[in-house]
Amino acid sequence: MSLGRLVKAEPGEKVVRTASPLACGPGCGILAHVKDGILVKVEPGDFPGTGHVCARGLSTVKLVYHPDRLKYPMKRQGARGEGKWQRISWDEALDTIVQRHREISDRHGSSSLALVMDLMGILSTDATLGFLGACQGTFILPAGCGDSAGPCADRVCYGSPWWYGEDYTTQFENPAFCLIWGNNPAETDSFKWRRIMDAKERGARVVVFDPRFSTTASKADEYVPIRPGTDAALALGMMNVILDRGLQDTSFITKYTVGPFLVRSNNGMFLREKDIAPGESEKHMVWDTQTNAPQAYDMPEVAPALTGVYRVKGEDCKTAFQLLVELAQEYPPHRASEITGIPVDTIIRLAAEYATTKPAASFRGMGCQRTFHGDLTFHAIITLAAITGNISFEGHSTFELNHLAFLSRGIPNLMPLLQMYEAILNGKPYPIRALWMARHNLINQDPNFNKITSELVPRLEFIVVADMFMTTSAQYADIVLPVCSFYECTDVVFPVGNGSHNYLQLQQKVIEPLYESKSDLEIAASLAKRMDMDGFLTESEEELIALLLASGHPSMEGITLEKLKESPLPPATYSLPAFATPSGRLEFYVERLRDFGQELPFYMEPRESQRIPLAQKYPLSLLTTHTKYRTHSMFANVPWLRELDPEPTLEMNSADAQARGIQDGDLVRVFNDRGEVKLKVKLHQGVGAGLVNICQGWSPGDYVEGSHQALTHETINPAQQAIYEPNSALYDVLVEVEPVGEA
Amino acid sequence: MAKRYGLVVDLERCTGCHTCTIACKVENKMEVGSGVRVETVGGTHRDSPAGKYPDLSIYYLPIACMHCDQPPCRDACHAEAIYQRPDGIVLIDEEKCDGCQECLPACPYQALVYDPDRNVVRKCNLCFERLDQGFEPFCALCCGDQAIFWGDLADPESGVSQLIAQRSAYILKPEKETGPAIYYCPPVERRQAKGTLGLDSKEGIKFPKAS
Repeated sequence: MSLGRLVKAEPGEKVVRTASPLACGPGCGILAHVKDGILVKVEPGDFPGTGHVCARGLSTVKLVYHPDRLKYPMKRQGARGEGKWQRISWDEALDTIVQRHREISDRHGSSSLALVMDLMGILSTDATLGFLGACQGTFILPAGCGDSAGPCADRVCYGSPWWYGEDYTTQFENPAFCLIWGNNPAETDSFKWRRIMDAKERGARVVVFDPRFSTTASKADEYVPIRPGTDAALALGMMNVILDRGLQDTSFITKYTVGPFLVRSNNGMFLREKDIAPGESEKHMVWDTQTNAPQAYDMPEVAPALTGVYRVKGEDCKTAFQLLVELAQEYPPHRASEITGIPVDTIIRLAAEYATTKPAASFRGMGCQRTFHGDLTFHAIITLAAITGNISFEGHSTFELNHLAFLSRGIPNLMPLLQMYEAILNGKPYPIRALWMARHNLINQDPNFNKITSELVPRLEFIVVADMFMTTSAQYADIVLPVCSFYECTDVVFPVGNGSHNYLQLQQKVIEPLYESKSDLEIAASLAKRMDMDGFLTESEEELIALLLASGHPSMEGITLEKLKESPLPPATYSLPAFATPSGRLEFYVERLRDFGQELPFYMEPRESQRIPLAQKYPLSLLTTHTKYRTHSMFANVPWLRELDPEPTLEMNSADAQARGIQDGDLVRVFNDRGEVKLKVKLHQGVGAGLVNICQGWSPGDYVEGSHQALTHETINPAQQAIYEPNSALYDVLVEVEPVGEA
Repeated sequence: MAKRYGLVVDLERCTGCHTCTIACKVENKMEVGSGVRVETVGGTHRDSPAGKYPDLSIYYLPIACMHCDQPPCRDACHAEAIYQRPDGIVLIDEEKCDGCQECLPACPYQALVYDPDRNVVRKCNLCFERLDQGFEPFCALCCGDQAIFWGDLADPESGVSQLIAQRSAYILKPEKETGPAIYYCPPVERRQAKGTLGLDSKEGIKFPKAS
């Protein structure tokens, strides 16, 4: 295999190019040095033009050889969570799982068997899903653990084929202006960050909106603090300024968005040709200014009106853009300022700069969508980009793999993560009785820890955890299975579509599985065999990967296992339509959201905002941001990183601390009606008044007491549920803090 | 002409990600400590900013052995374990080092670390074995921010020399007169928006009257 560059290796060392499927996102390429079957060193595996590995990636060696790795299957002794385990054989573990699942399935139906898993190699994912499908079980979609609100907007507005449509507002060859919305790529996405810094070096001005002064904010030309969860109001205020000054891109709006489409006043639906002449097409109608009559939008030489009200068959119809103009009118800068806390002058100035400095990129973090109405946040930012033409048509290619080959025995039921709570408690929509957590540390990373442990866990008859470590979730399991690291099995790593790179990579096996650990594929295959699914998953890893690649889709043309062994590959020349929406255009007006009153993006106060009565009792907003030292709960146990960030702390500014008699380093209790966590305070002037932050990823054992997830809630947003997947509003949490004494 | 190897660190691009710190551990097999430490130039804690919200600042300062022209650590070493190569790289002979740690306070940059497992003092060796084989220092290779550059400071045409000139790179603690071989490019000034950017435009949409 080509390593992409010259690599220094010690005598006896072999260097293998592999790839990380870890859930940080970027899908880093890795050059692994192996000596005598031992992984000795990791260095960046390049892609053409780029490639790097961060402190976490370089530390994966310490994950692989961590003394606390699960070494063999174990079954619970004593009560759940008591920490007493008995070593068992794989045979006993798998036999028990099959037997218990059969019993539960017989009593409650197969949909009572649920599985949740996190990002891993495509083969592991598809094999596990395929096995679950064959059992007719229920798959718990994991994106709702914090990453699904904004992507709801990406789906409806762009028709994004990706989970996350970041490319649409970022993939400019040479952005002249970069707006960064609640995003800290300087710590969490080195690929994206390098693109921003390269643009900055070429002269782009960089502006960051964030309630907390992040590393990314520290690098910006301008840091603009914003009240948490109010980004949509900012975007609407900017739209107001842009429209008021006539700085919108009329030609882009007319050509590429639903702006000129007529909307019926009776039902909020787009006017279609068949509405005028029964039996005609579903085509959207515009008001033609030449004939002064409604016409199908694609009629030759049609000259659509972009604004105005028109009477069609006795019904008033406004253009979608007209409706947006009327909405934006409600957000003059002084109102946007009152909501966001950003000065009026700043809103006006940045709006004009954004509309006139092109192309202007918008980088949207998962942070700015972790409030209850995070879908509206992304929807508003997309709409702002759309009316100024700051939308990129590049980068919308993809890989279509042969996932269906693995679902030949059945397709699992799909259920959003936040529905799991009701499903376990009340059987809706599925009577979940058994839960399998595959590399997804659900009990630590998902909201409302106390509810999960005291109400959900006791209702579950059988819990299996397959992981590398005795995670918080594993501590509540009945059976734990040791899975191997990504260096110990072969797989395919897919780019996750957050603008980092667009290469399909082979995750080549570098070392043999340690101890008795098995790959996720092997576990699924062993269970399939026990359940007499004859012939299912009996092929070798390589045969299965070849099957996965042979989808026959144009994007996969010429992509073979042999070629992937040589180097990472981009998709074959194949591009998706710019917008895979029903209209084929960017839909800032979303028909299917009119039942929720959200056809246009408007501002909704966060659920636990400081402007609601609850704030009298719990006056502080809690963020639980991501950091460079961990990826979710991964790496928290790595001593190299622990040396740098030894323990959890509560970031708090001096004024809020002083008001509560709290000194730097004091032990405090952070609490609300749902629960509490005890930890040390770290005075940090980068969090504004009324704000506190815990850099997340820590487990209950790392805290003095409790868990930050004991403070969070699992409230479902119905609009998000209707589109895709309701999100955990992890940054929409009110708390109070009190001193407990000296730490 | 004699070579003089050194590093240039771009403080504009450095985000304090500690990849260099970990890279040094990996390359030099250091379980505890590292040849590169990254200091926060900001508030009292690592990763906390200076100033009053929202007028804040934070920078990161990666510090390694400066491979000084006149290394005070060498002069402080009674065992004569510390020596300098003709290309400027300062090295510790671990056979001779007896772990007395007298060199530690002599370094104005606190760039030396004691390794209790091996009872020797360790520090950045500029990955001299890599350099000798034509490879860049491992921290420079791994730096995702592209903030660490290495090269020959004695050659005015080298990339590092040009970067030092273009960016007015500086050395730390010049008053110590040790002749350090790590230069720092200062962060660039924050840019203001240019002109009125259409703020004077009056071509706006006529907003309908609020109902």
